Amino acid sequence: MTHASSRTKALAAGLVTAVTLAAAGCSGATRDTTDGSGTADAATLALTPVTTPAKGALASADWLLEDEPDSLDLDTQGTSAGRVVLTNVCERLYQLQPDMSTKPFLAQKAETPDDKTLVLTLRAGVTFHDGTPMTADDVLWSLQRHADPDMEQGDEFANIAAMRKTGDRRITITFKTPDAMFFKALAGDAGIVWNKEQVEKAGEDFGTPGQPDACTGPYRLSDWKSGNSITIERYDDYWGRKPLTKQVTFRWAADSALVNALTTGAADGAYAESPNTAAALKNKKGVEQHYGPSTASLVLIPTERGGLKDPKVRRALSLALDREGIAASGYGGMVQPWGTPVGSGAWGYAKPVFEAAQKAVAHAPASPSTEDLSTARELVKKSGADPAEPIVIGTDSSQGRSVVANAVRAALQRIGLKGQIKTVPAAQFEQFYSAPQERADIDVLVGDWYISKADPMGFYDNALSDSSNNWVGFKDDAYDAKVRKALATLDDAERAKLTVDIQKTFTDAAVWISVAQVPSVLVLNKDMTGPPASMAYLYYPWAAELGAKKG
Amino acid sequence: MLARISRRLAGLLATLVAASFVIFAAVYAAPGDPAVFLAGGRDKLSPEKLELVRAQYHLDEPLVVQYGRWLGDCLQLDLGRSFKYSDQVADLLAARFPTTLALVAYATVLFVVLGVGAGVLAAVRRGTWIDSAIVGGTTLAASVPSFVSAIALVAVLGVQLGWFPVSGSGTGLAGTVHHLTLPALSLALGALALISRVTRQSMVDAGTADHVEVARASGVRERDIVVRHILRNALGPIVTMCGLVMAGMLAGTVVVETAFGISGIGSLLVGAINTHDFPVAQAVLLVMVTGYMVVTTLVDLAHPLLDPRVKGTAA
Repeated sequence: MTHASSRTKALAAGLVTAVTLAAAGCSGATRDTTDGSGTADAATLALTPVTTPAKGALASADWLLEDEPDSLDLDTQGTSAGRVVLTNVCERLYQLQPDMSTKPFLAQKAETPDDKTLVLTLRAGVTFHDGTPMTADDVLWSLQRHADPDMEQGDEFANIAAMRKTGDRRITITFKTPDAMFFKALAGDAGIVWNKEQVEKAGEDFGTPGQPDACTGPYRLSDWKSGNSITIERYDDYWGRKPLTKQVTFRWAADSALVNALTTGAADGAYAESPNTAAALKNKKGVEQHYGPSTASLVLIPTERGGLKDPKVRRALSLALDREGIAASGYGGMVQPWGTPVGSGAWGYAKPVFEAAQKAVAHAPASPSTEDLSTARELVKKSGADPAEPIVIGTDSSQGRSVVANAVRAALQRIGLKGQIKTVPAAQFEQFYSAPQERADIDVLVGDWYISKADPMGFYDNALSDSSNNWVGFKDDAYDAKVRKALATLDDAERAKLTVDIQKTFTDAAVWISVAQVPSVLVLNKDMTGPPASMAYLYYPWAAELGAKKG
Repeated sequence: MLARISRRLAGLLATLVAASFVIFAAVYAAPGDPAVFLAGGRDKLSPEKLELVRAQYHLDEPLVVQYGRWLGDCLQLDLGRSFKYSDQVADLLAARFPTTLALVAYATVLFVVLGVGAGVLAAVRRGTWIDSAIVGGTTLAASVPSFVSAIALVAVLGVQLGWFPVSGSGTGLAGTVHHLTLPALSLALGALALISRVTRQSMVDAGTADHVEVARASGVRERDIVVRHILRNALGPIVTMCGLVMAGMLAGTVVVETAFGISGIGSLLVGAINTHDFPVAQAVLLVMVTGYMVVTTLVDLAHPLLDPRVKGTAA
């Protein structure tokens, strides 16, 4: 079982856009770095989870997505585009807050009489958009639907012994072993409450254009014109606070079309999924950008083939990597040099502890000092690596990844090793993640990753000896035991301590080599404000906070 | 005439079946594994899960069996469900086809009016500076690829001057025309040179005919000569070329749709190919090929109506 997120292709696809943007003559990342003026300084990119609260009402807002949602049934097809829309329409048992903490939500109260039992008391007075009240039967049915192994969130339920209705507004969940991650999962797609009747009535067509939603959120789905737009409308009988904006219309455009639409005011806002889109929109008139924490990061994932098998070589590569250079020339300064495999958005609790630990990570300088380089060369010498045998770097042709691949080659050169870049088409690139035979002839992948839960422990099980994401064959029984213990530790402070310890083992062994964290970017019309800037926008009703700056 | 039409239809069908197989096989042979996209997130990409997905979508069967299954469903007008969108492929197409059709129709109007007009003007003013200007101008226009002209048009008329919207296809007639003007223009620009050149040459050829000389000698007004005698006789090749160009556009809107953020079948195809959404990619390609063949067949059938001289030879 892994807790890594359902990693969508959106980010990867977004990175591809950079080349097109540069060709379009928009202020692409490349140009920004040469003239210097448009470059965001990675070190000073302040990440704020929220924006100023809105004061005035809006009749409507036009929002851009990078792609049309595949489906509005997040159980069968979970993508970012679908989530950005649906998070305003559907509510979850727990809710991820803009500061990335989680709290019970449609479950008004959550009690844990013992470590293996969770009792949820459901909020009263909540109605679905068809007017019927939300019942415990709906909640239980929804949980069972999510738990189906074929569904996107099926693996989150692997640890569940039983789920039962134990009262009119009460659900009791029992676990095989204590599961700290499950609480976080309930703030994600595994916690969505569907209207059983609506979902069953729609059958196979649920989530496709022309079908109503089956949720309780502040907005209801009013129209999905396939290939054209999706409109959501304020739900008047909403149990909570009424949104300021009456209607939000979503359209989608990629690359330069997205940049142009925001520049000309044809759209009011968007969450930029790629740092390069954000870079192209920087300093445009009438548009403001807000940066928030996200769990996303750029990483190098070594494989068990050849050169990077030895942790000493991996540490050396990490020491010699020019992370600042990558951030500036590959991503227009929109990413920050980083030492851990998850971004700061994962710190949903014990923030100071995680922050200090991230800064203390060894072998991950922003840009290597002479001392770093000599240490790195020493490590390579000790490892006995063959300087003639090239280390093959797998990448696609997107601007960001190409820059990272070249930086890796340069770093290898600096420490006396040889790098060789293998570029594959974008469609094939994604297969590196899935098929061991596809990555049989690369030594390291220029990758990216994010986790859907605001908890670093949602990541570190990727290095368990039996994890399918542990490509390099890292094996450490003590590590495995610590991860299992942390995952079963419900107390946040205690789990944070364990996590920091686990993180140290992970980064010392350089199981993955972290490059940079990728912030979440909200691009907004300068007259509007309100939505969170953090990655919570995927799970929090951000449109309900959207409004005019002036009242 | 009827025999001719039925012969044509039979040929059309045979070509379609052949094309459908080629399309099916080509999409199948594209690099990348659809199961990876069908499986969901990266944490689901275990070999066992991928096997399951392959079995569920019949991806593990031989190509010919899959083709047979697909063809059978197609004949029952069932194009299947999209792998990416859970929606019916037919619904996806129905929602996007009108946009592409409107775009192509608009572009056709533009290149026919402007292209034929320029060609006629060049032919009538042959050898003058107007002729040279038209030939030079259209050649320049044709040498600019549509994605470049699209970007230039957006940058100047959309972003800088703000005269036209920069993305989307608009609603209502006025909205659609407004939204599609720039995309249609960039689509039509490339065709202008071809059409104006064919028109000009065809006019010049028709102008040398004996009956034109006779008409001229008998004092018929020049304007009437051009319209009644020259243009009419020159129309055959012009219409054929316009038809071919238009048919080609049905399959060539991809770049322009992407540049302008228009959800037509072109962008649907690109998305489908990128995500290995076989049912959608196959259906879109089939629609494009069918569209091409139908238009060219119509042009072929219309030819003798325009030019009675063709009838004898073609029959």
